[in-house]
Amino acid sequence: MLACLKGKGTISMSSEIVMPKLSDTMEEGKIIRWLKHPGDRVSRGDALAEVETDKADMVMEAFDEGILAEIRLKEGESAHVGATIAILSGAGEAVSASIPSAASAEAPAPKPETPASAARSVERVTPIRGNKRRRNGNGNGAEPIEDAKVETAIPAAAAPVEIVPTADEEAGGFPVSRDFHPALTAHPSAAPTAIVAPPPGNTSVTTVPETHAPHDGGKVRSSPLARRAAEEAGIDISQVRGTGPDGRVTKRDLDNYIREQQLFRFRRLVAPREGLPGTREELSKMRKTIAQRMAQSKREIPHFYVTVEVDMEEVVKLKKSFEVTELFEENVTYNDIIIKATTLALTRYPRMNASYQDDGIVIYPNINMGVAVAVEDGLIVPVIHECERKSLPEISRASHQLVAKAARGGFTGDDLSGATFTISNMGMLGVEHFAAVIVPPQAGILAVSAVKEKPVVRNGQVVVGKTMMITVACDHRIIDGVVGARFVNEIKRFLENPASLLV
Amino acid sequence: MPNPRYDLVVIGSGPGGYVAAIRASQLKMRVAVVERDLPGGVCLNWGCIPSKSLLNSAEAMETIRHAEKEHGIGVGEVSVDFKRVIARSREAASKLSKGVSFLLRKNKIDYIEAEGSIAGPHTVALTPVAGKPAPKAEAIEAERILIATGSGERLFPGMAVGDGVMTSREALAHDQLPASVIIIGAGAIGLEFGYFYQAFGSKITIVELEKQMLPGFDEEIAEELRKSFIKGGATILLGHSYKSMTRKNGGWNVTLDAAGAAKTIEAEAVLVAVGRAPISKELGLDRVGIAVERGGYIKIDDSFRTTCPSIYAIGDVARMPLLAHKASAEGVAAVEIMAGVREPGFDVEAIPGCIYCEPEVATVGLTETQAKARGIEVKVGKMPFRANGKAVAVNQTEGFVKLVVGKQYGEVLGCQIIGHHATDLISEVVLGKTLETTTVELGHAIHPHPTLSEAIMEAALAAEGEAINY
Repeated sequence: MLACLKGKGTISMSSEIVMPKLSDTMEEGKIIRWLKHPGDRVSRGDALAEVETDKADMVMEAFDEGILAEIRLKEGESAHVGATIAILSGAGEAVSASIPSAASAEAPAPKPETPASAARSVERVTPIRGNKRRRNGNGNGAEPIEDAKVETAIPAAAAPVEIVPTADEEAGGFPVSRDFHPALTAHPSAAPTAIVAPPPGNTSVTTVPETHAPHDGGKVRSSPLARRAAEEAGIDISQVRGTGPDGRVTKRDLDNYIREQQLFRFRRLVAPREGLPGTREELSKMRKTIAQRMAQSKREIPHFYVTVEVDMEEVVKLKKSFEVTELFEENVTYNDIIIKATTLALTRYPRMNASYQDDGIVIYPNINMGVAVAVEDGLIVPVIHECERKSLPEISRASHQLVAKAARGGFTGDDLSGATFTISNMGMLGVEHFAAVIVPPQAGILAVSAVKEKPVVRNGQVVVGKTMMITVACDHRIIDGVVGARFVNEIKRFLENPASLLV
Repeated sequence: MPNPRYDLVVIGSGPGGYVAAIRASQLKMRVAVVERDLPGGVCLNWGCIPSKSLLNSAEAMETIRHAEKEHGIGVGEVSVDFKRVIARSREAASKLSKGVSFLLRKNKIDYIEAEGSIAGPHTVALTPVAGKPAPKAEAIEAERILIATGSGERLFPGMAVGDGVMTSREALAHDQLPASVIIIGAGAIGLEFGYFYQAFGSKITIVELEKQMLPGFDEEIAEELRKSFIKGGATILLGHSYKSMTRKNGGWNVTLDAAGAAKTIEAEAVLVAVGRAPISKELGLDRVGIAVERGGYIKIDDSFRTTCPSIYAIGDVARMPLLAHKASAEGVAAVEIMAGVREPGFDVEAIPGCIYCEPEVATVGLTETQAKARGIEVKVGKMPFRANGKAVAVNQTEGFVKLVVGKQYGEVLGCQIIGHHATDLISEVVLGKTLETTTVELGHAIHPHPTLSEAIMEAALAAEGEAINY
């Protein structure tokens, strides 16, 4: 595969653009509009098409560069995730060149259809603006190919097909076919064979061997921490795209690599589409998904509900004290405080942070909190990851960022996926009490109602207090009544003693 | 002739502004800097630099005072010309301020003496400053504007400087040594001046609202420093809040509140060191809809952009921590992001903080408490200087190195050092943290013997339970 060569640059060839998996649950996507047309030059990060998914309308961006050679999925048509929807030919080449590996001497010599590409192939260096510092790439895209082991395998005639930094200096410039490649997923250790780009019209997928070129005899720039963590996780660090100076792989890069091997970034489009009053409304993808998943939830998950009333006096005071002292840059909201309290309760009741599967219960190490947010005709559930590692101000900051992203439409895949528990807060709508439907495959959901002034008994006296109802819905296959009750009481305990939330 | 249009106009020539301007010039921008005071800003003229000169004098004083007992070197009667001490610090500031002027000239940056404010998304209005020649134009135009106005000293409401009431700014020019000083605020500034006055023989009382000195710092460090100040003769009042003050017998009576009980203390002078506030009010920010956060900080995004897309902000005026080196680093980052040679984003976790009293305090990253609050499992390696050869040799055994590392991989999360030359020692750990170094590298890198830096190596080894000398 192309990424193999990243140490030395990437050989220009055509690649397939497949329907990306833009959310956890996405099975197919519909092209709303192509934003690039055959013959257009495509650079990394360019918006290729608007895609309707089950979660939202997203912009699919190119992760590779070249010329858009062919569009295979028309506007308005749907395709399954992983299906080829367009062909991107390598920069400077109209069609693909074949890159023989050592195992495939019989592979045809590259046929540069545009002589120009061969002529200018002596050395192509990405223009560097000003005194741009190289930030990415484990190697230098312009280094001579001789260093790479593939060199011996490339027929002499291939020499002019020099290393063109199609993937810029960016080591992570995987061809789009990699991660969503069904064949590859099925056979991740397929024997190395020739990388042959499909002839136009051939809808079968490219065979991409899961090997990679040697990376400079271990000269991958990486931090000691990243190396140590990669070693323990059994990850070949040369596969990780570095974002540090000169493409140095940092721990965060490694974490990102592990968490998401997303090839596309995408964002929600702000594109209101409303039916006329009185007419039959076509189901949007999002509506369809909500319908499907909620029905599935109620069909498969035996719900039970436990409600407690929480005395919010102390939380109200705490929130006020944050405001008065201007301790944090942004206001800490009730929701942030509830997220923190729920996180703490989840660490004590890990079974609430789990999934039921037919052969066992999966308990998740991280607490990734989904926060249900209403959007036009539906809802999305942005996720605050690893809440167990975050302090209250950090949770607050993360949720402010998600809110800002929701307003701008800048969600990444990570922001919308991987929740292990969900909170649905209708407090701002003034509700007395409600219960929520579990989002499969999670084990529970917390429904939060409004903080209301009510008579409460304090030290034997009836006084005006501030209370709030919370209701947890639990998957009875995993959790029994007692655990559900203890869990929701644990949240109550934390909220009524909120100093504990600051530790 | 129309006004020249600049690529970038920087308001403020402090460590954020002038550094940003030079970097912008290196990146081929046409740059102007607008400054209402002196080149170099507060840091250079009324902060970091002159205060370090004073502290150096204090250290000399301490060395001489202890010379006979310590080294057997008798020095006889010691006299102090306090005016000279202050004058020396002003000379240092002036030298460096001229240096900044030179650097700006060398980089072909237009330096404009005026009060700059925002008149439009691309316009900086220039108001003449009293005592300085009026600027040639009333306004200048720029593609982009960078606000680097920094911060100013804070006072309690109703309080005014004068008659012995000072902020750090007045103290830096106050050339009469007060016999006694009350210092309100036990943060970096308060403690540095406390040490300074104490070294020259003033009787000092340090008042702090919180229950520890250096609120937010590692508790052990704060406690070590408290002991050191008490040893030097200072009175430390923690958990005391300021209530009021009255002039009395040429000095001041300051009334404090300690958990509801009033308490009055007196001194000749009062130094107020209760933090600094961003200078964002009279900049005309609302003319272009620039949002300001609570506390007066200008709201910025990952690219240092304010809510007006052509206007950026860095340094103290944008966010905490209020540190010169943070402002410089942000200035460079902001300009590089503007020029498209750097990705947005700025790591605020690897910013060192230093306090230059004796013993010095230097920190970077997370304290043990902060790491635990984030739910991070940590190991802590501690190495006292009394187990360090060099420290014993020069009889500077106060303090310790405390290294906080991740439990699983031993990566540097933070470090707190208190002791002689702590501020010079911290850089190794800052580099280590920036490079995501672990205890393995810090512990295996060969440190020269005998040096204080060995304590860092030993602290790394200690975190793994492998310290040799302790």
